[in-house]
Amino acid sequence: MSLLKEAQQLLDKLKTAHKKNDWPAGKAVLGQLRIKLIQLPAVPPNTGFSSPTAQQELLLARDVYEHAVLLALKSQDEAALESSFTQLKTFYADTRSLLPAAPQEWMFAGLDLLRLLVANRIAEFHTELELIPAEGMTVPHVVSAVQLEQWLMEGAYNKVLAAGKSLPPECSFAVEQLSATVREEIASCAEASYSSLKLADAQVLMMMTSKKELEQFAEQVQ
Amino acid sequence: MVQEQAAAAGANDAAPPAKDAEQQQPKPFSVKEGMQGIITLLEKAVKTKETRLLMGRLMRQTAMVRKHMTASDLVAFINTYLPKDSNSAGFLKGYVMQDGDTAPMEDDATAAGDAGDGADAGSALGPSQLPEVELYMYLLLLVNLLDRKQFAQAREVADTAVGLLQQHNRRTLDAIGARIYFYYSWAYECTGALADVRSTLMAAHCTAGLRHDAVGQETLLNLLLRNYLAYNLYDQAEKFRSKAQKADTWRVPGQYCRYLYYLGTIRAIQLEYTEAKEVLQQASRKAPTCAHGFRVACNKWLILVRLLLGEVPERVEFSAPGMRTPLAPYFELTCAVRSGDLAQFRVVSEKFAAAFRADRTTNLITRLQYNVIRTGLRRINLAYSRISLKDVAEKLALPSAVDAEYICAKAIRDGGIDAVLDHAGGFLATRELTDLYSTNEPQVGCTVRSVKPQSPLQSAAGPCKGVCSRHGCYT
Repeated sequence: MSLLKEAQQLLDKLKTAHKKNDWPAGKAVLGQLRIKLIQLPAVPPNTGFSSPTAQQELLLARDVYEHAVLLALKSQDEAALESSFTQLKTFYADTRSLLPAAPQEWMFAGLDLLRLLVANRIAEFHTELELIPAEGMTVPHVVSAVQLEQWLMEGAYNKVLAAGKSLPPECSFAVEQLSATVREEIASCAEASYSSLKLADAQVLMMMTSKKELEQFAEQVQ
Repeated sequence: MVQEQAAAAGANDAAPPAKDAEQQQPKPFSVKEGMQGIITLLEKAVKTKETRLLMGRLMRQTAMVRKHMTASDLVAFINTYLPKDSNSAGFLKGYVMQDGDTAPMEDDATAAGDAGDGADAGSALGPSQLPEVELYMYLLLLVNLLDRKQFAQAREVADTAVGLLQQHNRRTLDAIGARIYFYYSWAYECTGALADVRSTLMAAHCTAGLRHDAVGQETLLNLLLRNYLAYNLYDQAEKFRSKAQKADTWRVPGQYCRYLYYLGTIRAIQLEYTEAKEVLQQASRKAPTCAHGFRVACNKWLILVRLLLGEVPERVEFSAPGMRTPLAPYFELTCAVRSGDLAQFRVVSEKFAAAFRADRTTNLITRLQYNVIRTGLRRINLAYSRISLKDVAEKLALPSAVDAEYICAKAIRDGGIDAVLDHAGGFLATRELTDLYSTNEPQVGCTVRSVKPQSPLQSAAGPCKGVCSRHGCYT
């Protein structure tokens, strides 16, 4: 079907924009793609209509939503991230019986968890966590998100900062924000628990590389 | 109920004992008499438009009949109380005959005999035109099929019953309708297709709200919550629960208990433990004494919520009658948390992993790790006035002294332990108890209490900064 071919071409454009990290171009293509998706008969919410190319259409739609999420992650656009994750999750839920299971579903679930953790939306983090079945829990993204939450709650901040360096590449958006949150937490804990602390020791505690960084941070917090 | 049993005893003394299989009981309960009582009740209720009567008495009598009912009894009732040519009669009889309990020929003979006896017993109850009676027959058959675990057939009967139910808009039908929806959902749950029922239940819930069908609304609300929670859709369940119309007082106590339980589980997952504990305790107290399984489920969640709040449940609660076996994994978990032993906690979690997964409490238990560490730290802090961080790490089974330092710092900030850390020396020291009144603490406390936003009364009274609530002095 020509509609499908057009949609496929637009998807290729989207993928190239994603590789180049070009958010404005990607956004424009995404807008056009969304209109195409509404017209395709087999894609939810049009699930009442059957079509000979149903499988391809559904796979195409899934690709589109996944790339939308990845692009939004790279561009750090909060609102777009929120809406694209919601669309993707709903799409997975609706097409669970129609499409074969995708292994990347749980990777995206892990990314969603990480996003919620970094935004400190812990209640939503836990409700999302309940939705992940046993096979999803072994995926590295989910495992890291769960472990990070555990460490943050216990207070093992050194592990969080160390893990920040070893996260999978898609999670890079989280590292900066997490480090900032963690350092603030360490500062407030240190204030309560140490009667006195040398600057050099404080630097080690905060896992900062130079004295200057520490001074900058102190001024910021003041 | 007592009257019926007396009547039954009286009747049975005269009647031949061949048919009734329940002779071994001292006061044999005649299913026939039970049914007559129910049909009389239904007809009276419809005539007097009395809806409250139905829920309680009808269900109790149904419970009695359900235990003793056989296929032949069912056929007899269908023949006696439903008009001979109705669609329902044929449909229902088809399902009763299908399971092949008794041969069809025998059924007809006993049916004729029963019908004759029914007339003889003096209450001239014949076929009834009421939709209540018709739907009640559906309900009886549903219950029967479910008791015999014939879930596929029960599903089909339930589908027809629900279709029939939706054609009527009678308040006297509410109680029976609510029960039919309940068993409809149950039949689908037992065949593993609970998600399919969601839209029907939702539509029925809306309709019940429009018609002020209180019993139906309550039952359907709980059925929908159960539906969402079965698939772990806590978010959606909470959204639905917060937006759904609920009456101020609940008509059916059983439904209220169920609602409280579902609410408690949602709150526990959302990290609101105080509310969860309150609600679960209420549910456990209000449940009837025979609802044993429900109480066990409530208690499991209640124990976990209390552990997460930092309190340790009493040993007595675990050894209540009938609770010992189901709560055994939770008892061991409580012991591990209480002793602050992380290694032991991990061993217990793995040992009973299957049981926890079946109860859907695995994620809650993972959250308990922090509580274990905090309890362990507290014990160490009480026992040692000064202890090196390396030893702390060893005792708490933490990977390294550096981790221990961070964890201690957080615990101190959160107010879990009262101590001081020394980074250079690498140890944790308990804070010495100083005389509180020699510090600034009381003054700070008084200021916080007294400088409150002024009420209109106070500002009208004059220039007064406030009253210290503790000492009654003006500041």
